[in-house]
Amino acid sequence: MKYFIRILFAALTILSFSFLAFAEEKIPVFPEKPVEVYTIYASLAVFWFAIIGLIVVIKMKLNEIERIQKLGIDKEDPHAHRLE
Amino acid sequence: MKLNYSLISRRKFLNTLFGGSLIAFFSGAIIPLVKFAFPTLGKEPDFVVLDKKDFTAIPRNSAKAFAWGGVLGLYLKKDDGSVAALKGVCTHMECNVAYRPAEKKFYCACHKGWYDETGKNIAGPPPKPLEFFEIMEKGEKLIIARKGAKVDLAKV
Amino acid sequence: MIWPKFKDWIDERYDIAGLKRLAKRKLIPQHRYDFLYYTGGITLFLFILQFITGMLLAFYYIPHIDFAYESIIDIVTKINMGWFFRSLHHWGAQLCIVFVFIHLFGTLLVKSYRKPREFLWVTGFILLVISIFFGLSGYLLLWDERAFAAVRVATGGAGALPFVGSFIKIFLRGGVDVTGDTLTRFYAFHVSILPVLSLLLIGIHLLLVQYHGMSTPVSLEKNQHKEEPFFPNVFYKDMMIWLVVLGVVVTLAILLPPEIGKKANALAAPPEGIKPEWYFLFMLETLKFFPGTILGFNGETIAILCVSIGIFFFFLIPFLDRKSNRNERSPVFTVIAVVYILYFITMTLVGFFN
Repeated sequence: MKYFIRILFAALTILSFSFLAFAEEKIPVFPEKPVEVYTIYASLAVFWFAIIGLIVVIKMKLNEIERIQKLGIDKEDPHAHRLE
Repeated sequence: MKLNYSLISRRKFLNTLFGGSLIAFFSGAIIPLVKFAFPTLGKEPDFVVLDKKDFTAIPRNSAKAFAWGGVLGLYLKKDDGSVAALKGVCTHMECNVAYRPAEKKFYCACHKGWYDETGKNIAGPPPKPLEFFEIMEKGEKLIIARKGAKVDLAKV
Repeated sequence: MIWPKFKDWIDERYDIAGLKRLAKRKLIPQHRYDFLYYTGGITLFLFILQFITGMLLAFYYIPHIDFAYESIIDIVTKINMGWFFRSLHHWGAQLCIVFVFIHLFGTLLVKSYRKPREFLWVTGFILLVISIFFGLSGYLLLWDERAFAAVRVATGGAGALPFVGSFIKIFLRGGVDVTGDTLTRFYAFHVSILPVLSLLLIGIHLLLVQYHGMSTPVSLEKNQHKEEPFFPNVFYKDMMIWLVVLGVVVTLAILLPPEIGKKANALAAPPEGIKPEWYFLFMLETLKFFPGTILGFNGETIAILCVSIGIFFFFLIPFLDRKSNRNERSPVFTVIAVVYILYFITMTLVGFFN
């Protein structure tokens, strides 16, 4: 009985470690340290806020330009006198 | 107190907002590019692993070169048989130094600097002594490590 | 005060006012399909993104079979933000080719290839071929199992063409088989030859667009009245769309970085379930339809010939579509266009899920 348990224990140990032989080293294509992962996702959020902010400002400019164009006052007068 | 007029025209406001956001956006975007362009490779290693048999058999009062990252390392065996390992780079302008067995000193040919056996700068322009390393052995391997660097011997 | 002074300094030397007048003349028609006008600009933006990220990656990539794979691992693990720029370059390439196809099929459907814009179609078609070759050559530079097998199949397929096949194959491979010489050659293509050619062709393509102006679909031409100036209206709209596209590429790059497989081994079997890049799938599935031999001829050669004829016909559409050239509605060619698009999409999906 005692030998049976020892042989069983040995077999299970060998079996469980044999999986290591098949485990290939996965190349980390993304940083692994948690502080870096957190920084990356936070930067992504900030980046999107920046993009949305820029788009809002550009849309404001566009609205203003279209308003001016509708009023017909968007042309520069090339023959206007300078103040000097 | 309410003003009857705006202190800033609509055009100026919008253009400043736009220009400012653009500058902020692009400086934020340029930073990763610049970080990328400056390499992290080429830093000096914390330790190197050498073959013991190549180094321990050298004659007394001689030095053998080894690669410390990309620069020169010297393995020195003194007269009394004791060994030392050091970075063979002069502290003046980073030329390689050579061991002179006759004088038992290290000599830098660029500006005629001299160091003694312990690496102390004794003559010429070098401002600081040579950097010495720690030597460890594991089986057939010789491990040269920077002083204070942690070397996990089990993983070597 | 500095900005007006700077403007005066330039004005005293160059006719900026003249350029400005020219630029203000560019007008973009407004109609229900005007969203298609933005597809070309998005493709251009992604191309520029690829140039920038590609130039950065070229700082650290080593184009030799003993070092290529390892240098990419170094980029991904050791360089500051290296993983990010590699991922960005990968996703930029995928989206660029997606938008190349959207732009292509868009112009096909609204028939903006018709007279007088045939040369835009010709340069655009060459740019399509260049983009796909960019993708293939860039893909091999990783020198992993997938890329190695994919390039073997792709160049082998080109070799099945009669007469010119073996010349093309040997030219592309730099030899009879895919070796280190192929890597060097593909690196030369990817980093030097194709960029120069594409810059030339994009320059011509864009100049022709400015020369001809924007085309309006035949069915809407008569009722076409509204238009807006490119500077500043459409320029700002372009900028907003490009910002969104940039956000999408960056998000994809961060959330789905591409894996790195095992290093290529010329003597090993290809990995299980290997497939080429998605923009080749439609061709692969088409080739699978053809049996081994047809009437005594090599089935693969016949298959490649048929695909080539299909592509050649596609290329000739502007010259065959007589009705469009007379600015008349051309329903036959609309049907042909829809057939091509549906075939491409279906075959790509079939290849994807097989």
